[in-house]
Amino acid sequence: MATYDVELVDIVKEFDSGLRAVDKVSVQVADGEFFALLGPSGCGKTTTLRLIAGFEQPSAGRVLIRGIAMEGIPAYHRPVNTVFQDYALFPHLTVEQNIMFGLEMEGVNKKEARARAAESLEMVRLPGVGERKPRQLSGGQQQRVALARALVKKPAVLLLDEPLGALDLKLRKNMQYELKALQRDVGITFIYVTHDQEEAITMADRIAVMNEGKMLQIGSPRQIYERPESVFVADFIGETNFIAGELLERGPDGFGRVKLADGTVIRAQLSEALSRSSGQVRLAIRPERIGIATIAETGGEEIDPSEYTVLDALLIDSQYIGTDTRYTLQIGEATELVVRVQNISELDSSGIALGQAVTVYWHNSSATVLDI
Amino acid sequence: MAATSQLLINESAIRRNRMTRRLGQAGLLLNPVFTYFFLWAPILILVLFSFNESRSVASFTGFTLKWYNNILNNVMGAERAFSTEIMLNAFRNSLFVGTVATVIATVLGTMIALAMARGRFPGKGLIDGLLFLPVVIPEITQAISLAIFFKVAFDWIAVISGERIFPGFHTIIMAHVTFNISYVAIVVRARLADMDPQLEEAAKDLGANPWRAFWRVTFPLILPGVISGALLAFTLSLDDFVITFFTSGVGTSTLPVFVYGLLKLTVTPEVNAISTIMMVLSTLLIGISLAMQGRTSSRA
Repeated sequence: MATYDVELVDIVKEFDSGLRAVDKVSVQVADGEFFALLGPSGCGKTTTLRLIAGFEQPSAGRVLIRGIAMEGIPAYHRPVNTVFQDYALFPHLTVEQNIMFGLEMEGVNKKEARARAAESLEMVRLPGVGERKPRQLSGGQQQRVALARALVKKPAVLLLDEPLGALDLKLRKNMQYELKALQRDVGITFIYVTHDQEEAITMADRIAVMNEGKMLQIGSPRQIYERPESVFVADFIGETNFIAGELLERGPDGFGRVKLADGTVIRAQLSEALSRSSGQVRLAIRPERIGIATIAETGGEEIDPSEYTVLDALLIDSQYIGTDTRYTLQIGEATELVVRVQNISELDSSGIALGQAVTVYWHNSSATVLDI
Repeated sequence: MAATSQLLINESAIRRNRMTRRLGQAGLLLNPVFTYFFLWAPILILVLFSFNESRSVASFTGFTLKWYNNILNNVMGAERAFSTEIMLNAFRNSLFVGTVATVIATVLGTMIALAMARGRFPGKGLIDGLLFLPVVIPEITQAISLAIFFKVAFDWIAVISGERIFPGFHTIIMAHVTFNISYVAIVVRARLADMDPQLEEAAKDLGANPWRAFWRVTFPLILPGVISGALLAFTLSLDDFVITFFTSGVGTSTLPVFVYGLLKLTVTPEVNAISTIMMVLSTLLIGISLAMQGRTSSRA
């Protein structure tokens, strides 16, 4: 039987106020994995982290760390360490004393603790600030100290609670890259809480998307982005077009036939989580998966009609956003569709006029059929 | 034409506005002048006459330190009640009561503040409100209630054990502890409210049990508040007259009670001198206490 670094079994956390912050969550995190808990604020991701850290006790269910049940084991005896959102560095201690704090609690002798503290400051690329007080450092530096303080303990699992949330955008991008590299180097399991979907996608090996205390989908960034299993996940991760339709038939090949509002019948990929075999459904299509062609052009491009969906559309708005142009189109009577086209050359961004009739097309596998 | 008159109206409105603003500013300037005058004038007069050559407060005839000298040399004009020894004894009593009451009140007050800031228990709101009671109820009410309480309690003890307890240092100290706890708790709580509770979690996360987390993280961070609270308690204890008067026994007079005894005869320049010394001492302690609180908030 494989043991996981962290395993949650049917965890429920209900607060005194009656709020169910975590609702029957089960997940396994493997050794060395970079695991992201992603969701909007109040979705229960931080509470889940605190349950693992031992700051909260589950109302039901079990937390296992390296196969050992954590029930009754207080936070200070768990083999996990936390990087807090606001760093929680001890203001009355120097940076070095902050980092040595955890080692001191373990009973590591001062000389060794000092050496390890210096080593871990080196690791987060912040050597020579040991004598300073935390408040003398910038936000980004404090962030690194918080990391060093947690990593110096060589925990089985490092818990990170929106660690980059307080940093400005540019620094955050750099730290994303660095954190990922650091995690690869030390090989410690990271459980990373964030509400930033881009952060989760770029850094994590696997993502769990949470909402209202439930884990809606767990999978690789690619699976989460390409194959969302619910409207919430499709909507929360990236930008998505939703088109209402009626499922006519579930094909054995993973594709189904869907009738749109205007009566057009198209083929689309069925979500693995799709429960219904007929009735109202929603189609989710990413804006960058849709192509636009003017009527004049379609003749030139060969599109296999059995592989592609091709629809007439009307251009109602276009927005130049640097790397891309974002077109808003109307298909049928009242359905709006957002399409993103990369501006490969300067000409691309000015090609189509507003009010012009165009054709939109996408590969059938780019549209996912979801339960409403 | 219309535009011009419009402009004129606006100008006069602006002028009127400016006048009111000037008047308001003058009023605002006068306000602190009067406030501080009424606050400090009586005290300044007391200090001034403690250095007055003449025994009478009718006029200031010249600077002297002889009243200060007198209180240290057993001389107090014609009054028999005064002796330096009794005064020093009263001062020692004050220091003793103040020190013991402060230590007890600081420990208990800090514990209550911690429980209030971190704990979750039934009746917390009620206890929280009751904590402010000694601060708001009149001192005389508290003094009388304590005196009655001690009388009733000692009567009961006498009935049960057959031994009679008389008021003394223990009653004064208990009384001082009761009101000082509130002040300490309020000051320490303010400091705790400023402290990020996540720091305690961070300590535990790094392997510190609650005891070590408290001594290594929480306590050093609230220490300025604790010291500030202790200094405040000590000052209140030194200054207290009413409660001490009602709870003291024979031979346990503190300095304020002693001064009151002198006043029963007449206000002598020596009383002014002692009062000045007491005031300087209290101001110094409160100053340090405030400085500690200031340091507290600049840290957070």
